[in-house]
Amino acid sequence: MKKILAIAAIALALAAIPAFAKPGQTVVVYSSVDEVNAKKILDAFTAETGTAVQFVQLSSGPAYARIKAESNNPQADVWFGAPSENHIIAKNEKLTQAYKGSGFDALGKEFKDPDGFWRSFYMNPMAFAVNKEVLARIGAPKPTSWADLLNPAFKGQIQMPSPQSSGTAYNVVASLVVMMGEDKAYDYMKKLAPNIQTYTSSGTAPSKAVQVGQCAVALQFTPAFFEAIVKGFPVEVIFPKEGVWFEAPAVSILKGARNLAAAQELVDWLSSVKGQNVMTDKQTFFYPVVAGAKLGTGMPAFESLKTIDIDPLWAGEQKKRLVERWVQEVLTAK
Amino acid sequence: MGSHTSSRAQGSQAASQALGRLKRVARDPVLAAAALITLGSLIVFVLYPLASVVDQSFRPGEGYSAAAYGEVLKSAYLRKAFTNSLGMSLATSMTGTLIGFIFAFAVVRANVPLKKFFNIVAVIPIVSPPFIGALAIIMLFGNNGLITWNLLKIQNFPIYGFNGLFLAQVVTFFPVAYMTMKGVLESMNPVLEDAALNLGGSRLNVFLRVTLPLAVPGIASSILLLFVETLADFGNPLILAGSKFPILSVQAYLQIVGMYDLPKGAAISVFLLIPSVLAFFLQRAIVGRKKYTTVTGKPQASSGKIVSPGARGLLFALCIAVSALVVLIYLSILLGALAKVWGYDHSLTLEHFKFVFGVGFKAVRDTLMIAGIATPIAGLFGMIIAFLVARTKIPGKKLIETTSILSFAVPGTVIGIGYILAFNHKPLVLTGTLAILLLNFVFRYIPVGIESGTAILQQIDPSIEEAAVDLGADARRTFFRITLPMIVPAFFSGLVFAFVRAMTAVSAAIFLVSSRWNLMTVHIMSQVESGNLGAAAAYSVILVVIVAAAIGLIRLALRAQYGRFGGNMLHF
Repeated sequence: MKKILAIAAIALALAAIPAFAKPGQTVVVYSSVDEVNAKKILDAFTAETGTAVQFVQLSSGPAYARIKAESNNPQADVWFGAPSENHIIAKNEKLTQAYKGSGFDALGKEFKDPDGFWRSFYMNPMAFAVNKEVLARIGAPKPTSWADLLNPAFKGQIQMPSPQSSGTAYNVVASLVVMMGEDKAYDYMKKLAPNIQTYTSSGTAPSKAVQVGQCAVALQFTPAFFEAIVKGFPVEVIFPKEGVWFEAPAVSILKGARNLAAAQELVDWLSSVKGQNVMTDKQTFFYPVVAGAKLGTGMPAFESLKTIDIDPLWAGEQKKRLVERWVQEVLTAK
Repeated sequence: MGSHTSSRAQGSQAASQALGRLKRVARDPVLAAAALITLGSLIVFVLYPLASVVDQSFRPGEGYSAAAYGEVLKSAYLRKAFTNSLGMSLATSMTGTLIGFIFAFAVVRANVPLKKFFNIVAVIPIVSPPFIGALAIIMLFGNNGLITWNLLKIQNFPIYGFNGLFLAQVVTFFPVAYMTMKGVLESMNPVLEDAALNLGGSRLNVFLRVTLPLAVPGIASSILLLFVETLADFGNPLILAGSKFPILSVQAYLQIVGMYDLPKGAAISVFLLIPSVLAFFLQRAIVGRKKYTTVTGKPQASSGKIVSPGARGLLFALCIAVSALVVLIYLSILLGALAKVWGYDHSLTLEHFKFVFGVGFKAVRDTLMIAGIATPIAGLFGMIIAFLVARTKIPGKKLIETTSILSFAVPGTVIGIGYILAFNHKPLVLTGTLAILLLNFVFRYIPVGIESGTAILQQIDPSIEEAAVDLGADARRTFFRITLPMIVPAFFSGLVFAFVRAMTAVSAAIFLVSSRWNLMTVHIMSQVESGNLGAAAAYSVILVVIVAAAIGLIRLALRAQYGRFGGNMLHF
């Protein structure tokens, strides 16, 4: 027993030793971008600027809790990723500080806080992906609008995530409510229900289904769609003409950041064309937010996307009620 | 002497006995400390989390109210989840027990060919992650399943919901029934059946009037055990239930992880907890009430006379059919791990294994470390509790026994929710740490150590230990020098089982993992959820290989140390 405890203690101690900082500038980052892509982006930053990055992977909820708990003695300099409403809350709770620097003015107003407390550094629009082979087989026309999805030819041929488990799906619900008005939006979703093959629990599962021809149409954020195109699957991305909402993960500098200069350097770099090009060069399949940045295969010009304007705070407040209503009305629809 | 006086005499005798016990315990500080630490840790790590679930379910906002329960009861969807869960558990426990009985009867009584093979087939699912059935069923019968789509070109085959889940859970849980029924049939002396046959009973008559009645308590216990396990199952329904066939354990999880609604998730899990605990304690009452063994000296081989050649053929055919399904499941997992894109491009590749050993290797390491540390602690702790309960007369031992067994009755989902509620604030902040995973596994698998420890202790004459005490040994010395060596084989047998469960558990762990400490099972679930069947299959293959290797190693070590006897203690 003693031996086991000793082993456990050693293991714990080993796990607790932090990575030793390199000489020169270092910035400490709490990252809420998925680990693989966070590493791609932050490694590129270090390679280009020589500033080392120490990053701790935390999804948005735990990251916020930690930043708040540490506010008297901040352990990190930058909160990297997590949808913008999280950063709005952090600003309101006075956990972050304003910084504009270079590149701030060029950002669209939907991608930044007017006072400079946060800015988005990439975005992922909602879209449809169609499998061209399946469309030909079932003889259905290419859908170009939300209304087209109601076509009975798509019966059991559409996959989308379930808002019960996926923020991606809530993005669909909220944007339909804003575009159509609440009752009409629920009517639409009820009419759509027979065409839905399955409501997946993960926000990225529909892309896997559409690429292998398991369904004709998939609804989710675009990165996995563009990845499927690059991998050679017979998939095409369509932005419905009524418009779509998007997620726009943001970055903030924490109040009391110890490595302020390095933090500002990171934020400047993220909003620069160079930093934005990394999204495409390193195959994150994220959409850049700065005009003139490189776009990947199959990505229409960034300025051409028709996006709708939704207050992320409003969407957050309505979530419980709208998802509940979705469960009661849409899931039980025949 | 009247009964009145005798009961009074008994009363005062009991009181003086209790006093004597306390005095003895006080004289032995090691025993007293062990008892106190055990009781204290059980209260903190078993009862406190459960109390936190109940507490949270009554606090939907400021102050206490039953509003969360009102929301659950008002929702037609959640009411459906409740009836689905109970109905599914009932169907699975009945069917699983039937198949388990047929398997056991065929192997023990009917002397069918390929007995060894059937035994292995029925054991493999026990040592695999509990959701492998669901994964394989999706790969075979899902929307781009090998059979439904690639071979038969059926799209939208209705596998999500009742059909698929029922199939997956029967395959996952019938082995538990098989083990129980095998034990029951083996302990029933076949001479009874042969005697009845010789007296002129027809085969059917003897089966119905001798075999079946003797097996009834075992059958009832198996049905209840399966009911509890199916109700608690999380992996299979998360993969297969689909949103149109809600299941309680999954809904509780979705409320908390998807909607951040802790009170409602807690309220749903209370609806899950109550039938589980009821069924579990009913099962223990049935098992405890009646010893239905008829062992007299050496166990005797069945003459097999009770089974007619026709019935034997039928039993054999049934066993082959079930075995074929199990083999098909494992083959498809193996193929899935090697196929490039399952259901689309079946050319062979090692890229999924490369992924697991690259990006995913941290989870493999974490899992091994967590299971490796938690298992021996759980086993040793379980043994200590078994010793305290079976061999000492400490006060509060009933509480110790009931509490430690409780964590077996409580569905993992409820425990997981309890742990995040209890340990995300002061005085014990453990969320996101290694400790919370270790503690969860230790306290979840203590009962395994207790069960095997108590079973073996009951077979060892306490006079051996009493002799040690009389010669001046204290409790610690007696335990480590006398008791422990005698129970080592059972200890390791329990340990293997705990290790398997720790390696393959997902329902509680899914709430407790963090980016720093993650588990293979949780990775498999998320790969399945996001449609990466190849990576999920590769992870599963590696997991099964690790578990098989661990069982093999412990078996070899025991065999070297204790001869054939030690090896046989492992029922795997």
